Amino acid sequence: MKLSTDLKKNIKEIKKRLTSQDIEFLDIKAGNLDGVLIFVKDITDKESLGELVLRPLSKLQGNVGKSELSDVFLSPEKKLVTDTDDIIDQVLSGFAAAIFDSVSEAFTFGLIKFEKRAITEPPTSAVIKGPREGFVESLPVNISLMRRRIKSSNLQFENLTIGTYSKTAVAICYIEGIADKKLVKLLKKKISEIDIDAVLDSSYVAKFLGEHKTSIFKQVGNTEKPDILTAKILEGRVAVFVDGSPIVITVPYLLVEDFQSPGDYYNSAYSATVARIIRLFSVVLSTLLPAFFVAAELFHLQLIPLSFLLTIVSSIKGIPLSPSFEMFFTLMIFEILNEASVRMPKYVGMVVSIVGGLVLGETAVSAGIISAPTLMIVALSGICLYTVPELEQTFSLIRLLFLLVAGSFGGYGLILAMAGTLIYLVSFENYSTPLFAPFSPLIVSDLKDGIYKGFLIEQTNRPESIKTHNKTRMKIKGEK
Amino acid sequence: MQYQLKTRQICLFFVAFLPVTKIFMLPSVFEKFAENDMWISCLCNIILDLAAVFAMIFACRKADTDFFGLLKNSFGNVGSKIILSLYVVYFFIKAIMPINEQKDYIEITFYATLPNIFTFVPFFLISFYISVKKIRVIGRCADVLWAITSLGFLLLVGLSVSNVDIQALLPFGVRGAKSILSGSYSALSWYGDSAYLMFLIGQFAYKKKDGLKIFFTYLLASFAILLFMILFYCIFTSTAHRQIFSLTEISKYSSVIINIGRFDYIGILLILFASVFSMSMPLYFASLILSEITGIKKSWISALIINGGMFVFLMLFSEFFSTVQYYIFNYAGIYFLILGNLFPLFTPLLKTEKKKNALYQN
Repeated sequence: MKLSTDLKKNIKEIKKRLTSQDIEFLDIKAGNLDGVLIFVKDITDKESLGELVLRPLSKLQGNVGKSELSDVFLSPEKKLVTDTDDIIDQVLSGFAAAIFDSVSEAFTFGLIKFEKRAITEPPTSAVIKGPREGFVESLPVNISLMRRRIKSSNLQFENLTIGTYSKTAVAICYIEGIADKKLVKLLKKKISEIDIDAVLDSSYVAKFLGEHKTSIFKQVGNTEKPDILTAKILEGRVAVFVDGSPIVITVPYLLVEDFQSPGDYYNSAYSATVARIIRLFSVVLSTLLPAFFVAAELFHLQLIPLSFLLTIVSSIKGIPLSPSFEMFFTLMIFEILNEASVRMPKYVGMVVSIVGGLVLGETAVSAGIISAPTLMIVALSGICLYTVPELEQTFSLIRLLFLLVAGSFGGYGLILAMAGTLIYLVSFENYSTPLFAPFSPLIVSDLKDGIYKGFLIEQTNRPESIKTHNKTRMKIKGEK
Repeated sequence: MQYQLKTRQICLFFVAFLPVTKIFMLPSVFEKFAENDMWISCLCNIILDLAAVFAMIFACRKADTDFFGLLKNSFGNVGSKIILSLYVVYFFIKAIMPINEQKDYIEITFYATLPNIFTFVPFFLISFYISVKKIRVIGRCADVLWAITSLGFLLLVGLSVSNVDIQALLPFGVRGAKSILSGSYSALSWYGDSAYLMFLIGQFAYKKKDGLKIFFTYLLASFAILLFMILFYCIFTSTAHRQIFSLTEISKYSSVIINIGRFDYIGILLILFASVFSMSMPLYFASLILSEITGIKKSWISALIINGGMFVFLMLFSEFFSTVQYYIFNYAGIYFLILGNLFPLFTPLLKTEKKKNALYQN
């Protein structure tokens, strides 16, 4: 509804909708004009309100019109609004609104003041060498962290609001001239089509951005570190910031991204390559080892070397559970301990380690409930998966699935399950980007930052796996 | 024309899929007919395939449409459908031997404790899953599988090479042309992979020297098989035909295995993994052609018909498979020869869109 020149009517209309007691309606005067200042008490910076709005206003004398009012306010974030809906939306977002009699426009001032967490190192991507800053829950702070790193006019932020009740601010961030325009347009369309009560975290938005709603594989990337996000958007990706979330979404996503640790880019290429191979090997080992062991124990004894076979035979003597159930049971115990250790208060964490690791493990073996090789395999598999924490949830599900198949159909069943997974992975695309690139489709130039980490000076072009408008990343002096 | 594949993927397709199905039972089949001249039999099949590949490269060079389009331009709607129907049958029969030998291998050798037909049955779920995918996915699978096949193959060959007695091949040619050609004729079911290339015509952008790349990768994959045959015979000599599943036998006398256990199983498992895809290829192409003939838009229907048909066939004939094998070895050879080797030789003569339009204008 449009504002009228009748102050009483305007205030009556707004009060009808803003009934909450934390909203303040303060009577003000500007010369001969009566007015009302509307703001939410707990999220508005009252000191700034006094200095930038009320003090200048008190200086106005005599006949005052719209032009005098426009010039008097000192707030740098000042807008003119003509619609009551817009006034309400802005007030609820932390703006203060001033409405005057005989003026059909309201002035709004950005004077928001939230309590926010300090910038700290994110626990999910700690590094030994390299920047330690992490995003926080405040969108303006996160944007400032990006602006600090990319001082280019091509760095673009496009603002949107989603959530019927939460009215969460979302910003799409990309570099003009590098990011694919079609992708930006598509993302904007997808985000603006989200119709949901509230967006409490970026993971809510991520679920709407995935093109395969039922897939267990991740479809969008994410990061908590501004240096990583800078590198990603410089490769042509588009980022989505969500107010209230320290995790920023990136699109398109490649599976190989999660094998790339922030540390890889700050250490030598050799050690980064070794670390990457270890990560890849660990994930494969973690996913396949329990299933492979069960299949070998149940159906393919010829696969196990004789001396190891004798050790297994002596350790499983008297175990009441079948090999597959024993492995499943031990994996479940591991998952329970994992779940408990994440949610348990820190001061009892040590108790969980002792009870879980020593008491449960040691006693279960000596009591003859589970065998020592099974316990060792589950422990190894569990630890290995944490070399790539981002993929832990996905691959622990796949591990259970493979275990089920290996226990029922043996080694050939496992091979078929792996073949099925490979077909799924190679055919999986999100935003026309293959998830399994650069391995499939094979993009040789992108392998430099795939299975191995090439030297920085070799990576003169942006990855071909991601569509960009500008392929060149680096020019070396003397080279054309 | 929108291309679904890259030339690289065609090359890797042959490296990934060609050798794996030929190293289970085929070496013992060759040896049964041609003994120490088995490699010459193998070479005859390779030459036949290479000739077909060579001809098809010319077809790829000038093709401005896919193979279905070329057939339609040359033989009309009905004629092309008849030819394509023959190819559905061709690929269906071509799939029988590799799938059955793998089924036997899984049931007899791979499962030490529980030989059960149901251990192999899930294969048809995977082959069905591949069959519903677009041809682009096959190319992407090849991008990954070439490394797996190569690694498995090199491991097995590397482990077996120390036990080879190359003199076992001597003297050459004493078994006579009849034995050698009988070996080649019986092996036609395993060969004729060049026919795949026919259905890949128009699916990739042909550039200068692409033909050379395709030809040489086919040659490389073929010679890898030949090398395997030679090594196999040189290890087992006159008892080679009794080693039905050469894959598990070839490296079992390696000193590494004697010392640390069946290390060769790493190679065997890699080959088994790649062979799941390789065995599915004839079923994939049969489903693709069936969709084209019938005009079925939903690929899962034709995939279900072909894969379901193969499953039912193998279940029904599992007890009488030696009879099926007898018919394939003795009577189906000519069918394989015509469709897998002779027809591809004439693909450069098929009418392109340009030629067809020129004819209409005249």
